[in-house]
Parts: sequence; C-alpha cells; structure tokens
Amino acid sequence: MSRIFVTGMGSISAIGNSVTENHKALLKGKCGIGPLEMFPTRYASLLPFGEIKLTNTFLQEKLQAHEPELTRTTLLALHAFEEAIADAQLSPQLLKSFDTALIGATTVGGMCLTDELYRDANKTENGSAYLSSYDCASVNMYLQKRYGINGIINTINTACSSSANAILYGARLIKNGWAERAIVGGVDSLAKFTINGFNSLHILSPDICTPFDEQRKGLNLGEAAAFLVLEKEEAVAGKRCYAELTGYCNTNDAFHASSLSEEGDGPYLSMKGALDMAGILPEAVSFINAHGTGTENNDLSESRAMMRLFGNVPAFASTKSNTGHTLGAAGAIEAVYSILNLAHQEVYASLNFKQPIEATGLQPVQSYTKMPLEHVMSNSFGFGGNCASLIFSALNEIKSKK
Amino acid sequence: METVQLKQQLKKQIVEFLNLINVKPEDIKDDEPLFGTGLGLDSIDSIELIVLLSREYGITIQDPKEGRKILVDINTMADYIEKNRTK
Amino acid sequence: MLYIHQASCISPQQTFAAVEIDQLREAVNNKLQVIEPSYDGIPSGILRRMGKAIRIGVGTALPLIKENNTSIDGIIIGTANGGMEDCIKFLNQIIDYNEGLLTPTNFVQSTTNAVAAQIGLLSANKSYNTTHVHRGLAFENALLDAGMLLKENAVANYLVGGVDEISAYNYNIEFLDGWYKKEPIAAADLYISHTIASIAGEGAAMFFVNNDNTNATAKVTGLQFLHTEDEQLVAEQLNLFLEKYLPAGEKIDLLLSGENGDSRLIKYYNACENVLNKQVPVARFKHMTGEYPTSSAAALWLACFILKGQWMPQHMLKYTLVPSNFNRVLIHNSYKGQQHSFMMVEKAVV
Repeated sequence: MSRIFVTGMGSISAIGNSVTENHKALLKGKCGIGPLEMFPTRYASLLPFGEIKLTNTFLQEKLQAHEPELTRTTLLALHAFEEAIADAQLSPQLLKSFDTALIGATTVGGMCLTDELYRDANKTENGSAYLSSYDCASVNMYLQKRYGINGIINTINTACSSSANAILYGARLIKNGWAERAIVGGVDSLAKFTINGFNSLHILSPDICTPFDEQRKGLNLGEAAAFLVLEKEEAVAGKRCYAELTGYCNTNDAFHASSLSEEGDGPYLSMKGALDMAGILPEAVSFINAHGTGTENNDLSESRAMMRLFGNVPAFASTKSNTGHTLGAAGAIEAVYSILNLAHQEVYASLNFKQPIEATGLQPVQSYTKMPLEHVMSNSFGFGGNCASLIFSALNEIKSKK
Repeated sequence: METVQLKQQLKKQIVEFLNLINVKPEDIKDDEPLFGTGLGLDSIDSIELIVLLSREYGITIQDPKEGRKILVDINTMADYIEKNRTK
Repeated sequence: MLYIHQASCISPQQTFAAVEIDQLREAVNNKLQVIEPSYDGIPSGILRRMGKAIRIGVGTALPLIKENNTSIDGIIIGTANGGMEDCIKFLNQIIDYNEGLLTPTNFVQSTTNAVAAQIGLLSANKSYNTTHVHRGLAFENALLDAGMLLKENAVANYLVGGVDEISAYNYNIEFLDGWYKKEPIAAADLYISHTIASIAGEGAAMFFVNNDNTNATAKVTGLQFLHTEDEQLVAEQLNLFLEKYLPAGEKIDLLLSGENGDSRLIKYYNACENVLNKQVPVARFKHMTGEYPTSSAAALWLACFILKGQWMPQHMLKYTLVPSNFNRVLIHNSYKGQQHSFMMVEKAVV
C-alpha cells in the first residue's frame, strides 16, 4: 500500500492565526490561555480559556463568508482549510476532482450557538437561520458546497480523538484506493455546551493548566482548527513534503464513559499499535506530543501507559498548555505541531510544569531544545475511551521498514 | 419536617433524580451504603447528588471528594440536610 | 466488499426478535417511533443513564455481541445526531439554571460517540472503535470504514451499524426547517401526498461482518456516495456504479428506494429509476422507517431480510412489476437532496 506524505498544513488557535504564527509562538513558549474577552458565558471571569481573539465579523469579512447560516465553528474551519489547500497548492480543479477526499472532525459543530439552539428546539414557528447548522456535519457540508468537492466526504466525532481519527481515515482512503489525496483535520469553537459539560464533571481548572504536574487541577478549554493535506507517494514528485505519516492506531479503553483506566490500557494499545504499524521499536520514538490535558485522571493514566510501553519514556510535552484543550481540533493541531517538530528538528517547552507526578516521576521537556528527531508520536485520548495515536517521520531519515 | 418524612422524601428524590430503574424508594434501607456495595452508585452519581442537594435543599458542596464523606447512606445524608439546609 | 453474517434492527416496525413486517405499523402525529424491547442484556445501573439513541443502538448490538463477543475486532457506528434528546436536556439545564450547577449525565450521554463507546464498554472490547457523523452518509461512511478494515485485516470481524433517534426537540428543528410535513399523514399514504417534506423516523441497525462467505446471509458488493443537488449527476453516478459493480450479463432484481413522500426529492428517485429503464421492480422503505439520516442502515437490514427469506411484504412494492427472484438488491437513498448513496447487496452464494 502507498506511503502517505503531508504536503500542506493550515491552523488557527489561541497562539496564532496561521502555521507560521503558531510556530513562532511555540518557539517563544507563548501561552494563549487566559480570561475570555469575547465569548459570553458566566464563566468568562472565573475560568481561563484558549480563545482565538478574532470576532466572527472579522472572520466573515476576511474569508468573504457571509452566508447567514455560518457558525463560528465553520468559519474557523474555513480559515485553516484555506491555508492548507494553498500550502499544498491544490488547484480548484483538483479540489473538485472525484478522487479528492475531505475528512473533518468536530465535537461541537453548530452547537456553539447554544442559545439559538435552545430557542429553535422550543419554538413553533420562525426558526433561526441556523436550523441546518447545528450538527457536526454542517462544517464539511459548507466546505463541500463552497469548493465543489466531489470525492468522499466524512465527519468524525470521537470526542477528543476526533481529528486524529479523521487523519487516519483519510490516510486509509488513499491506501485503499478510494482517494488520491485527502484534506483531513478538525475544528472546535468555544461553546456553552462544552464549557458547562466539562464543568459539570469538575474537570475544568480555575488556573492555567499544568499538564503532568503533581498539583494539576484540570483542563482549560480552547478553540482551534487545523487541516493537513495528505498525498500518496506516487503523487508528490516535485512537491514540498513536510513529513510522512508512518503509523496510526485507534483503540478503546473500555473502562468508563468519561475517564481512563488506571493503567491506561487504551492509550497503551493505541501507542503500541501505531509503533507496530510504523515498524519501529519504542526506543526509535524521538518525541511524544502527549494528550496531556492537565486532568488528574488523564495525565496519570497516560503516564502509566507511556512507562509500560517505553520503559525509558522519550522526551514528551503537552502543547495544551499553550492552546488549551481544543477537543475536536486537538488531534489535528497537535499533528501540525508534531510535524513542525520534525521539520525544524526541535521540541518546545511544556509550559507551567513545576513538579512531577509523585507516582511516576516523569518530567516533560521544559525548555526549547534543538534535537535530532526521526519519529514523533502524537496522542489523543477521549471520552468514551476513544484513543488514537499517530506517528510522523522525518523525510530524510526514513529507514526501510520491516 | 420530621426526620422520617425527610428520609422518605430523600429516597424518592434519589430514585427519580438518578433514574434508578427497578428500585422502589421504600426498598432503600436507611443504613444501606449508597456507593460501592448496597445501592451501587458511582462517581457520576456523587456529582449528581451534589446537584440534588443544591437544587432541593440549597446546600453547596464544592468538592465531590468532600461530598462522598456526606453521601454515605440515607441516615448521614438526612442528618447533613437537617443541619445545613437553606431551603 | 464484505459479508454480512448477522443483522439486527430496532425500528418502528416489528423487526427485532420475532420479525413480522407484513403488517405495517402506523405513524402517530407524523412520527414513526421505534418499538423498544425489554433490554434484558443491559444492567439496570447502566440502562438508567441511556437516552433512546444509546438504548436502541446498544440493544440492537447486544444479540450480535452475545453470539460473537470474543471475535469482534472493531466497532464502527454511523450516527448523525447521537443522543440528541440528552443533548437538548443538557442545553435546557444550561438555560434554566443559567450555567449554574448542572448534572453531567445528559452531557456524557449526548456525545455522538456514546453509542459506540457503550457497546465497547459492555463488551469489554478494546479494539478499533469509531463514530462517523456525516449526516445522511454517516452509515455509508461506517460501512466503507468496515470494508477498508476488512481489506486491511483479512481474518477480522467487525460490528458496524447506524442509529438515530427522534427527540421532541430535534423533531421541532427539522419541522421548522421544512423537512417534516405540516399536514397530518398516515405512513401508508406517504407516497401519494404530493406535498413537500416527509415523516420523522428513527431506528438502529447493526451488522456482524467479515470476509468469510461460509453461511453468510448476504454480501455488500458495491458502495458509492456523493454530494450534489443535481439529479443528472446522481443518474450519471448510478451509471458509473453499475459499470463498476454489476457484472456483464447480470441483472438487478430489486431497487430498494429511499423515496420519502417529499415532492422536492422525487426527481432524484425518478432519475435513478430511469437509468434502470423501469425494467427493475421497485420497493420503498420509508413508510416503514420514517425519514432520518441513517435510515439506509435499516434499508440494508431489509435487503438482508429479503435476500435471506426470498420474500418481501406487498406494501413495499411501488409498481405492479414483481421481482421474479431475489439475488441482487440495489439500495438508493437521497438525503435532503444533497447526499446520495448506492449500495449493491447480493445473496451470498457459497
């Protein structure tokens, strides 16, 4: 089956409105988490969030996207999508080709419009302009219409691992002959639905999150969008490639609807499965972009799983301390960051870390470091036990696989 | 309200709030453990019961872990409610 | 693409356990709501938290898990709305209590991946688990996913299915958006209505699939889907689909059509019938299931039922042309005139 290469990327998050801006921010160790300035919620002054400081009006104007049914989620997706397709130099004709797939992911969809949804769900007449925008599919349905995409289109929602699963689904479509190229990624915008949902489970931190720290108090929600363009080996001659997607795996922890097992079985299995597929041993992994949400449960279970699998755990960090937990976008934006690691042969500090978890003693990378990187693993573990691991490999370091 | 009445009301509220199918309020013993064995409730239920105490009795419990010390059985719950209710 | 060995369906008709679909069960207030079984296999401590979508999704999967538990290598679900009722209940809490102290169960149960997650939990299955949510093609993507998994893992087995529920609230939203009829209508009269919109439906259908043809009920030999509003393009795609998946000299015995009584959408169904030159008998299913994003899963269950029993109820037939035998069924569905799919389902010949 074909090898899969990343030929384009686009991203927008609390630390930057493009891949370049995100990269600069990571280099500086910028934290995009803080008080809300635009989003109306009771928790605006009580909890920190990774908010993108662009209004919907600004986005609509910049993107020339004035259709009344567009939600913030769709606007953010459009922003990252445009960047990615331009970066990969995909022509309008190629976008319309029957062999170009679009696989997206979101957990919120149009439910960022909580108040409108409440009204529409309870009204008897005169629905809002958003009636067909509430579901997760609405984002990709808009992209399809705007760009005339004719290949396979799909939306995946597996909670926090959604866009990692979108990436691996796109890769498999290409490998199995259902597409020649796939634009894959995910998005989520801040929503009262998720803010209140996570708050009801008591896992939002009142302070900026401290992934893998003994004193961690929970996660911060963030918003983001990211897309990658995947193309097969036979199609990339002459194109600039960032990295190769060499391994991926999806498993389930099967322990509880909203927390991971103590020993991190699901994470262990997804990491191991990705290694097996990439045909590399644990010690070949140069760096891990961890799921690292900052919750008591995740960081401990994830640590235990890493220790079980690697013995000697490689350098790792969580970029959620820069962007917050971006839910449906997390897998994709962290894939972008993993590819930046490889492209520049560097790793970024995992912010706000002071003290290792007593039970594990593990310490993430705490300052910017230039280092040789061959294989970078990116992990995403979600509600419902949905776990996904991706491995990206540097281009000039690929050894022949077993 | 009499303690006996409160306990009856509390059992009814717990069954309804947690949607305990196949459990009749009168079947819950006053000293039956709510968590683990006995009624077999879990961590999500402890969060839900904290919400119940807030909505029905005006009692605020900030930390779910603290809540578990109160939510031992009907007796301890009723006792806590009597001492702390604001509704 | 894949062989179906067992299929299970909870729907508004008598399709679960003792199947009896000759008598059409009618809509009530323009809604075809499922007949729910007793869910003996779900522990009450878990059942109490489940909204309808999760109950029927899990309930449909349980018999298949019971038969095959040690050998399921993945769980793939298609659902457009997941636990919509729980979702809106949580939203109501947010508004009613002004974002104050809220109960988490509705939130946890509302996420679209909750069905697949609960099935995984109940069967202690740690393998591949995913949820496709692309509206009218959510189930088709799930089926494609299963097909690809079987190409990647030759001796594996998968549980694949589709589920969606009507909740009072999502019915309201779809009604306001013009997808459900304003006038009261009986399901039996759906196709003679000549007005826009359809009737609401819900259901769950699950399938145990692998690459083994031994004792298989049916096989899915072709799958294709597209996004367009142009019925000419839909017809063109059907022609391409037939070129690819209908062997020369072979014929289709039955077109199982997703026609739903919406006058705006009849052009898609007419276009496809014309491609087949009106030579193929046509049956319809949405008077049985109602309209909902993953109804094609129920259609696949019906196709399997027809292929296995070599029989179908009279009330499904559109024209007087009756099938002479049932070896190959073509399913066509067009959801809201924007998403279209074709599935070729054949009797598995050993």
